[in-house]
Amino acid sequence: MHPYRARPSARLAAGPRLALEILPWFGLSLLLALLAGRQAEANTPTIRLFPTTVVEDLRQTSNVAREMESGLQEVIGRLDQQQQLYLESKCEGAENDPGCQRLSRQLGATYLEMLGIMEERLPDMEHTVNNTRLSLEKRLRGELGNKMTSWTLQETLLGGEKQEASPAGPSLRGRSGMRLSERFRQYYQLVASSSSRSDQSLAVLASDIYLDMEETSELIARTREEIARATLIEQLNQSFGTITPEMMEVVGGVKSILFGDEAGQMQIAGPPPGTFEEEYRSPLEQ
Amino acid sequence: MTIMNTNYTRLMLVPVALAALASCASAPPPCASPETRNLDAAVGQVKTSLSAGCAAHFDRFYDDLLGIAEGDPKPENKRLFSEFLVWSADEGLLSQRQARDYYNRYFNVKFMSLAGDYNNCSHTCPRRDRVMRDMERELGDKERGLVRISLDNDGYYRADRLYQEMELVLEATCTACEAAR
Repeated sequence: MHPYRARPSARLAAGPRLALEILPWFGLSLLLALLAGRQAEANTPTIRLFPTTVVEDLRQTSNVAREMESGLQEVIGRLDQQQQLYLESKCEGAENDPGCQRLSRQLGATYLEMLGIMEERLPDMEHTVNNTRLSLEKRLRGELGNKMTSWTLQETLLGGEKQEASPAGPSLRGRSGMRLSERFRQYYQLVASSSSRSDQSLAVLASDIYLDMEETSELIARTREEIARATLIEQLNQSFGTITPEMMEVVGGVKSILFGDEAGQMQIAGPPPGTFEEEYRSPLEQ
Repeated sequence: MTIMNTNYTRLMLVPVALAALASCASAPPPCASPETRNLDAAVGQVKTSLSAGCAAHFDRFYDDLLGIAEGDPKPENKRLFSEFLVWSADEGLLSQRQARDYYNRYFNVKFMSLAGDYNNCSHTCPRRDRVMRDMERELGDKERGLVRISLDNDGYYRADRLYQEMELVLEATCTACEAAR
């Protein structure tokens, strides 16, 4: 795994955790809109990583993801309230109290509802994510894999920029463990700046999305396998009215992904401030 | 009589040994590293040595010059190294390609370890780990040339970013290439 792509969510329980990790795709619509606009105004790109078919696949994925997101947000909101109530009622350590048992069962039922929504929506999600992944895969293989050498790829990434100072800010986008708004703000920066610098950022963006899709695809498949198990376990827990640490962690994880987790933000080192004088160019320089 | 002859011989040997030692001290050993810490002067000394048949020591001399330049970092150092390498190529000590390699490895953003004529799926991907290791080593040389010798932090950060982007893009591209097999 790329160092900028490490996911800090290992603390979450296996099955539901996998489901939570696909949530960052829920905001893809913004990226899609930007990409579509970007494609329209671009000057005949030399590499075509985002033709309309790929953009359409991304849009489809985004729509499915958004539906799942809106369904989950309401459930998560309820989980949050129920958890708050459970804590305020000082139910921890008082599990035998009838009121606390009732609260605990309500919380578990909502948790089951969340798993149910995932179970219902994941097949569609899996289908559209795979379509997008395969479209991008074909493009990457053709445009960067077969048409380019490592040297021309390097030149593409440098984008023909000579010695001008690049604007301060991130160039590589960490995705994982980052609040959604920050993540898409960074995507926006990349797409917006690539409109003036052509292909180099698109190559990175396409790679970034493709690898994310690759992981997402695997996660969805594993999540689908795990969800039945998680549901069964929770149904058993319901019988005993227990709130498991796993449930609490899952709820916390969902909240951190959807509503932000400052600790997860990635900082990219920028160039030091200074003057950018006309630099010496050697006749040997390639 | 015999004892006297022996002492005499010993006495005669002393001045000879002293003379030999003195001559050692005044003549530098062949192909010696430059003694000055001034880069301009050091380049002059190296050129003299190279012209005097020390071409086989080029790598060591180049490293000596890099070390001397680290002691007095400034943007103009790039030009001195470029001119020295152009001179070396003109003198036939290096090929043009070698001269470009020596220069770009230390003083340019682009990675010479990415030179290649075949496409990524067939050539780069099968040896991606080695390519990345070579790039990492070259990034270390660029840190020396760009930051510690030329004070070009901006150039080094671009090279570092290029390294990271290349790692990401190659990972995606090679995964895509592999999926077709």
